[in-house]
Amino acid sequence: MGFGDELIHDRELFSCLSCYACSNLCPSDVDYPVFTQKVRNLASGEGEHGDCAHSGTLLSIMRLTSRSDIKQKRLDWLDGLHTSEKSEVLYFAGCAPYFEPVFEDIEVSPVNIARNSIKVLNALGIEPMVLPNERCCGHDLLWTGDVETFKKLAQFNAQMIKESGAKKIVFSCPEGYRTFKLDYPNYVDLGCDVQHVSELLAEKIGQNGVKFKEIKKKVTYQDPCRLGRHLGIYEPPREIIKAIPGIELVEMEHSGDESICCGTSVWTNCSSYSKQIREERLLEARATGADMLITACPKCQIHFKCAMVDKGAEKGPDIKMEVMDLVNLVANAMET
Amino acid sequence: MEEIKTGVYICHCGLNIAGTVNVEEVARYAGTLPNVVVARDYRYMCSDPGQALIKDDIKNLGLNRVVVASCSPRMHEPTFRRACQDAGLNPYLFEHANIREHCSWVHDDRQIATEKAKDLVRAAVRRVFYNEPLEIKERPLNPNVLVVGGGIAGIQAALDIANGEHRVYLVEKEPAIGGHMAQLDRTFPTLDCSECILTPKMTEVGQHPFITLLAYSEVEEVAGSVGNFKVRVKKKARYVDEEKCTGCGVCEEKCPWKVDSEYEVGMGKRGVVYVPFAQAIPHVATIDKERCVYFLKGKCRACEKFCDAKAIDFEQKDEIVELEVGSIILTTGYDVFDSRRIPQYGYGRYDNVLTGLEFERMTCAAGPTGGKVLLKDGRQPESVAIIHCVGSRDENYHEYCSRVCCMYALKYAHLIKENTQAEVYQMYIDMRCFGEGFEEFYRRVCDEGVNFIRGKVAKVTDVALTEGEQGKLAVIAEDTLLGGIIRVPVDMVILCPALEARFGAEDVAKLFTINRRADGFFMERHVKLDPVATATEGVYIAGCCEGPKDIPDTVAQASAAAAKALSVISRGRVVIEPTTAQVNEVLCQACGRCEEICDFHAPKVISKDGLRVSSVDAALCKGCGACAVVCPTGAMSVRHSTREQINGMVEALLEV
Repeated sequence: MGFGDELIHDRELFSCLSCYACSNLCPSDVDYPVFTQKVRNLASGEGEHGDCAHSGTLLSIMRLTSRSDIKQKRLDWLDGLHTSEKSEVLYFAGCAPYFEPVFEDIEVSPVNIARNSIKVLNALGIEPMVLPNERCCGHDLLWTGDVETFKKLAQFNAQMIKESGAKKIVFSCPEGYRTFKLDYPNYVDLGCDVQHVSELLAEKIGQNGVKFKEIKKKVTYQDPCRLGRHLGIYEPPREIIKAIPGIELVEMEHSGDESICCGTSVWTNCSSYSKQIREERLLEARATGADMLITACPKCQIHFKCAMVDKGAEKGPDIKMEVMDLVNLVANAMET
Repeated sequence: MEEIKTGVYICHCGLNIAGTVNVEEVARYAGTLPNVVVARDYRYMCSDPGQALIKDDIKNLGLNRVVVASCSPRMHEPTFRRACQDAGLNPYLFEHANIREHCSWVHDDRQIATEKAKDLVRAAVRRVFYNEPLEIKERPLNPNVLVVGGGIAGIQAALDIANGEHRVYLVEKEPAIGGHMAQLDRTFPTLDCSECILTPKMTEVGQHPFITLLAYSEVEEVAGSVGNFKVRVKKKARYVDEEKCTGCGVCEEKCPWKVDSEYEVGMGKRGVVYVPFAQAIPHVATIDKERCVYFLKGKCRACEKFCDAKAIDFEQKDEIVELEVGSIILTTGYDVFDSRRIPQYGYGRYDNVLTGLEFERMTCAAGPTGGKVLLKDGRQPESVAIIHCVGSRDENYHEYCSRVCCMYALKYAHLIKENTQAEVYQMYIDMRCFGEGFEEFYRRVCDEGVNFIRGKVAKVTDVALTEGEQGKLAVIAEDTLLGGIIRVPVDMVILCPALEARFGAEDVAKLFTINRRADGFFMERHVKLDPVATATEGVYIAGCCEGPKDIPDTVAQASAAAAKALSVISRGRVVIEPTTAQVNEVLCQACGRCEEICDFHAPKVISKDGLRVSSVDAALCKGCGACAVVCPTGAMSVRHSTREQINGMVEALLEV
């Protein structure tokens, strides 16, 4: 494509959040993030990778799952839940078991979101399959330019899913969902439907007559970029929240397709700017007077909670607020 | 970017390495690695001709990276860094691969050892590629010294430094200096009077133009680093004007309230306003606020009425003194083990079971009995048992030996023999008489007719089994030499309690950022080769805060600590190692995790141009890397152990 060294070696190449806020405003519908993705692919070939957060551990784990001989022990968390060996529905757990120990210190439990997803599916009368040797969806590798590894992961996953005979894959993570829905078709044939757990819930709430107990809370909702601007899913999460009696949903100054990103993508170039974005977003959330910020992406939760860590002697603004995943909220409301 | 030209040198170390590793093969292999322009092997790289090889190659071949594969960097990294520097290469562009301790010494198989040596060399060559030139910085230092604790250790250290005409601030938490030594009667094995040898030094401290004595004071806060410490000291209110008080003692005499004297370990009384002992320095009175009736009930002020000097000041307030010092010596001493913790010995229940310190006061001519060895009822004892290792060498309390008890127990035996007709029994586990003149003193006491019973005492009881035990205390012990249980009826029992770490030593360690051993005493930086130094540069320890020891050892250690402080002063500047943590301010999110995890208080979140960001005080940083690990974004990294360097090594090691 004829990109000069300048662009490929520019640190800011890895600062783009691929949040699609720019494309959303662009009168000519330019898909700017896809440019970023392509140039990162070229930069990656030159050994560029931006500044990896968490010492690069998370991206290393993702790459490790692309090895054909890897043996994973990733289903311990299923203990006590109803899953089945053969089902039309497959739940894709994604990185939750790997993220779990890394974010213990900020009290984010991705595994809890996965557990609650299964509980919610169970409540809807679904006993899903869960793959014991599921690979990383490859989202973060694709967006850091490592297309080769991404392809391998896609092929592994596609093959396993075909063999499983699943007709529909349900996700609680918007990134996995986006990747399966928009990126996998470019490389592999899945031969089945994909759906976010919020879409499934919104469909079923009316039909099955799921009963929610009352939760007296004022909440606001963070649209994850992948779920919102990438896939246009704005209403289902809101419908679910509103279906819980006692809950009052208030919107932030920026919401829906104007929503503000949680500040970092693909564990790269997490910087003082990221922190500033989070601070501003959390201040917006607090300004609504809500007791709680609901989000539908585990990474949003990780980033907002991380931003609240303030252990230095000199303190920043008060941005503390309860943050909860949509699935956890639903599971709480279902409990009798 | 300049072309990287690396020279690799494989050392035979005589046969230490060459005996197990095929060094010629390793050198040949190194020559094939990327960016390596020369690879040699040589008999002793650390020798002058070995170093000359490196220097010549730097000059002739234009090397800009050097790798030596030889012994541990702890041994010769400084040697090779110097060689590089002599040849005009920044010493941090040198990398050391350890193919002796990590390879030849731990393997037998020549082929495998050779392959491993190649791996280690490959990793070092990859790492050195990413090394960056670093600069050693210096900054001026403050020559003042803070000494914390005014016992014999603190007194000695303070005098050594002050005699070199440098300012010393001596902080003592009690109203007067002197510590435990001031309470002792005579010192073993020479039997010279403790007070007679201590008080001249105390007086010297009180009058020394270079010593500022802050008695009845405690250190509250320490900031900064070697050469530039800032210390906050709380000078507690005595309610007596130190300048006006003459120490005449009239106030104490007129004080209608008497309480147990700490100095006499409860065997004598003092006034609520008091001068702790006759030779106290500073020789001024202090009001014990907790027990003063005026402070408790608002009435009395008798002392004020009788003080001619008008020194009593009930309005006095605690005062904060801010000090700036370059080094700190901790001489905070020890606590005596509480013998009540071993109830079977009867301390606190039986009148005539005493602790060593109580007996010291008893034999002291100025003490509560005027130097007479007396039972509670005023009689002289006819028999005395001395029980060794009370709380020492005992897995239930302290496993260590308290080091001084055998000798002072011998001294007690001698003093009892000198002053009474009593029969004396030493109940010991082992006699440890290792110092100068100790063994001779042991002989002497043996010859004085003292009974030595080898065995641990099980119990002291007043329940008499025979007529001979009536009205006496029976000491029940195992005599391991005779192989039987014995009961010895005595009039008096003297316990030799352990010396233990001070109550609050943990807080002191935290305050000064030093470590403690498992037994609670302060830890030296290296038990053999770096005594009196601590993990924190510029903070030294001496005396019993480091572990139980006698007066000569304490004084020697105090002088050693003073010498360390004087050596820093004499250098006149602080060297700051460049291998410290650094912050990428773009990545930093000011979360403060680094500030929280650092034991040395090096990183701090500060405001810079309106933005909050972490900042590292290089003088405090040890380069341990804890902050870099805890930093979620990668903003924190350690110079000379950057991610590129470490990952480079790991990648090189994983390649086959």
